[in-house]
Amino acid sequence: MLAYIARRLIAMPLLLLGVITVAFLLSHFTSADPLTSIIGERQMNNPAVVEAARARWGLDRSLPEQYLVYLKNLLTGDFGTSFRTRQPVAQDLLVRLPATLELVIAAMIVGTVFGVALGVIAARFQNRTPDNLARLFALFGSSVPVFWSGLVVLFIFSVQLGWLPGPGRIGSRMSAPELVTGFYTIDTLVAGDWAGFRSALAQLVLPASVLGWTVTGIVSRMVRASMLDVLGQEYILAARAKGAGQLRILFHHALRNAMLPTLTILGFSFAYLITGAILTETIFSWPGIGSYAVSAARGLDHPAIIGVTIVGGAAFLITNLLTDIAYALVDPRVKIGARATA
Amino acid sequence: MSDVAHRSRQFALPHWATLPVILGGFIVGAWIVIGFTVPFWAPYDPTMLAGMRFLPPGAEHWLGTDALGRDVFTRTLYGVRHSLPIAAAVIVCAVVIGCTLGAIAGFVGGLVDEAIMRLVDVTLSFPPILLAMAVTAALGPGLGNAAIAMVIVWWPIYARLMRAQVLAVREREHVEAAIASGARPSRVLFKHILPLCWSPIIVNATMDFGQVILLAASLSFIGLGAVPPTPEWGQMISDGALHFYRWWIAAGPGLAILTIVLGFNFLGDGLRDLLDPRSK
Amino acid sequence: MKPHLPGLLGGVSAAALAFSAALVAPAAAQDQPLVIARNLEINSLDPHRAFCDTCQIYLSSTYQGLVKLGPDEKSVVPSLATEWTANDDQTQFTFTLAADAVFSDGSPVEAKDVKWTFERLKNIQGDPSFMMAGISSIETPDEKTVVVNMENPNSEFMGILAAPYVGIINSDVAAENGASAGADAATADQAETWFLANSAGSGPYVLDTYRPDDELRFVRNENYWQDAAPIGEIVIDQVADAVSQAQMLQSGQADIAMQVDPDTASTINSPDITIETVPSYNFIYVMFSPGAEGNQVPLDLEVRQALAYAIDYQGIIDFTVGGEGEMQASPIPNGFPGTEGLPMPEENLDKARELLAAKGLEDGFAIDVTVASMNVYGVDLALLMQKIQQDFARINVTINIQPVASAVWREQIANPGIPFSARFYAPDYYGSAQYVQFFGMIPDSWWERNASGQGKVDLVNQKEVDLLQQALASSGEDMEKAYHEIALEMINDRIIVPVVSPNLVLAYRSEIDGVRYSACCNLPLAEISRK
Repeated sequence: MLAYIARRLIAMPLLLLGVITVAFLLSHFTSADPLTSIIGERQMNNPAVVEAARARWGLDRSLPEQYLVYLKNLLTGDFGTSFRTRQPVAQDLLVRLPATLELVIAAMIVGTVFGVALGVIAARFQNRTPDNLARLFALFGSSVPVFWSGLVVLFIFSVQLGWLPGPGRIGSRMSAPELVTGFYTIDTLVAGDWAGFRSALAQLVLPASVLGWTVTGIVSRMVRASMLDVLGQEYILAARAKGAGQLRILFHHALRNAMLPTLTILGFSFAYLITGAILTETIFSWPGIGSYAVSAARGLDHPAIIGVTIVGGAAFLITNLLTDIAYALVDPRVKIGARATA
Repeated sequence: MSDVAHRSRQFALPHWATLPVILGGFIVGAWIVIGFTVPFWAPYDPTMLAGMRFLPPGAEHWLGTDALGRDVFTRTLYGVRHSLPIAAAVIVCAVVIGCTLGAIAGFVGGLVDEAIMRLVDVTLSFPPILLAMAVTAALGPGLGNAAIAMVIVWWPIYARLMRAQVLAVREREHVEAAIASGARPSRVLFKHILPLCWSPIIVNATMDFGQVILLAASLSFIGLGAVPPTPEWGQMISDGALHFYRWWIAAGPGLAILTIVLGFNFLGDGLRDLLDPRSK
Repeated sequence: MKPHLPGLLGGVSAAALAFSAALVAPAAAQDQPLVIARNLEINSLDPHRAFCDTCQIYLSSTYQGLVKLGPDEKSVVPSLATEWTANDDQTQFTFTLAADAVFSDGSPVEAKDVKWTFERLKNIQGDPSFMMAGISSIETPDEKTVVVNMENPNSEFMGILAAPYVGIINSDVAAENGASAGADAATADQAETWFLANSAGSGPYVLDTYRPDDELRFVRNENYWQDAAPIGEIVIDQVADAVSQAQMLQSGQADIAMQVDPDTASTINSPDITIETVPSYNFIYVMFSPGAEGNQVPLDLEVRQALAYAIDYQGIIDFTVGGEGEMQASPIPNGFPGTEGLPMPEENLDKARELLAAKGLEDGFAIDVTVASMNVYGVDLALLMQKIQQDFARINVTINIQPVASAVWREQIANPGIPFSARFYAPDYYGSAQYVQFFGMIPDSWWERNASGQGKVDLVNQKEVDLLQQALASSGEDMEKAYHEIALEMINDRIIVPVVSPNLVLAYRSEIDGVRYSACCNLPLAEISRK
């Protein structure tokens, strides 16, 4: 086990370098000249301006040279300057990262709460109607495109019923709270801004629910399987024979034993959440990494595309590593190296 | 064995035909039939004017009309003619490329194995949608480019799977016997190893089908996949988002994606239940 | 124990309801900032590098030009300059600056700031730099007098000076932060990032914060030397699409929504919201590039005429903007000098077929169309092309649409060229010369270069060259007449074919006053107040 963890840790920097290289190369095989994203339309035919911009953005150097410069800058945390926002990509990402984390964590909470509840119901009523309904609800979650369910819930809860606010991260009349953690729900509380907190929380409900729904399936499946495992074991039968109540058995014995595998499965769900976050942020005008990535890809903002890809890859790598290790520790039956595929 | 029991076994469903499998098979089958036959019975042309713009659902237009007066129902049905073939092409390419490289890695081993598997590791280090976005941003929009991007995302999964299979099968006695008896390596690989490796690959491919359809639609939704006027579902939902208050424009394609992915997930779920007794 | 599921779920949703109702309880505050919902799409906040619609709003509220556009949208009225004179042949302009004008840091606006600003604009070679083309020298005889000398007559110079990009910058502050106005400003200037966080003008507002893709926040300039702006704080909130903007307006989260398209506006039905639809100077056009490499059939004049006749102009207005738009005759927008009485474009399928038959093309042909996938002024360019695709099918002409990122479009239009495409234009200031210089078939105009495949085909129309010279050296009716004739020539070129000038929807909460659309500045923030 230790050898496995050590091997994974040693491989990390190499994989990260691979990620950086692939991200960098992809952006440079593009069909369009990045200059078109930098220079204004009217100056495109002006050779002097084109040359000046090429020199200023370092595009007059050869590809290997650009790559080395990029790597060198990266070591100092410099991801280059975005063509679109004209700000350092690192700064853009830092500002947006908390927004995405807040959304993803909220979605994880939603996914876990509903997933565990459904899993418990399903295990309790194994192969009966509630079990099937719970599985169906969870399956719907992993089948529905979030960019459509997002539209649907916005239409119903925001436009038709008016219960929850529309897109955005905080009410438009409120200014963003003083930066402490970057999580609006926490920062507003720290600042003692109760109205701001309510607004930030209300804004979070719809996107987090839509995103969280996509992982309820994975969680509930895991909870159900683990609980059934435990429920069939002898000590439960013994507890039952001793006259312990249904609920006590369900929650005290079975669920507690199912918690650890469930925690590890949340790591697997990270892949779904990243995919979903990109689309959810687009629908809900959430100023996070996801909507930044979409704008960058649409606008051929190469420094931003590379930056997002590297950061996303790094986050993914670390989560996978932690999950794999945790999973291997918890369940030695699982073949090391297996992982979620989508 | 009594006569009755014997007969009942004859009429009983085979053991793999569980409810999810039947349901999933039915949904997917229905969409396949629609895909093949829709040009013969669709009420309108999917790319041409069919009526006033923004008509709400009614008798003439079951799912209303869009911003260009095209029939949303017709376009939704035609959408399957883009989604299914793309998904099939992506899965087939990913399986062929992934399995070939995986088999080579597992069978040859050594440096070749190292090289292939490190490439697999790096590719799998990206969140799939981010990698697909970066690739399509580089290649330019279009369903073909989106398909290439998705193959790049998916092949490593099969490479890893195939390599593990080959490694496992290699250890078996009859294979070791064949190698010991001096059979040519290619003969050992094709005759003795590969035939035993396919079943998990096929199950995985079925389960990935729905995910490929979702990702393709997602790429189109953010403007990196299908180009207009292609009646592609993700593209149609993105149109619908522009005219949000006309909810019906996105309703058809949304339900279409939901049902077809659900169908594949049912199939995958059913198959997984059969293979993994723990989740029964 | 068997939990009753529907009951349980009902309980949960009721709780959720109560919870969410508590969350959205409105906070009552009178001194709230004014919220404008808008898709920011800012390319820069450096006045001399910026070139976007939001930039116009930003620059015209944080900076002031020597003159500004009057309320009639045509005349030029004093701003930083109290008076000015031009010599007879429109080559020398002399300005006297207001004695009490000060920048937001309290320092006086002086002649050296004007000279520095104009020189930086010219030398930095940004998008708006063309406005300073033709300036030969700038003299500052004293602190409050500026003399600008031109190489050639330019009757439009005063109009240009009213453009937001020509607002006067506090040169000392800018120079301290890396700005440069020298001949090498294009490479030496390092102030772009600084301008993203600071404004350095004399306008009624100053920049508070800018967060890309999130918000642009203004606060009142406490040192403003004229009447203070009525509203203390204004936020332009990033809201990408028309529907969300309308929704924010309806729910009271926004006071003004700027890009609600007519289709969406028609779904708003609330007494609290005022919706005005006004003609705009923006327009969407399609264009032919006979010099593009991808042409399968030579796009000569007759073919271009035939295709222009095959377009269903009224249909396009109905389809793209729900009937809320005007036709436009020439690339000079309706209402600009010289546009009165121009013949409107005409749909005529018989003529189209006749022209194609004369060329032996009655069986049609195919054209490749690359178009930027974007939504401008409520028109989705790809959608517009799909409508034209339906139109052209009637004369057997097939178009293959390829939507691309705007940056890719810009690259391809120059090389290898795009046979047929669609694009948009909004005025940079009030005056017709900018259109001739951009759209006219005069040597080295933007579209002469790109439509001809950088000179592969000769498209130059000498009459337009001569007429433009005439127009720039004259004023009043003579000038109007010259532009009128140029417009007729541009129509006959059939290179640029305007298809719709979308009406602008001004949607705002009824308690807001002073919302208007301006040709130079989009939305003048300092005129907005609460009733």
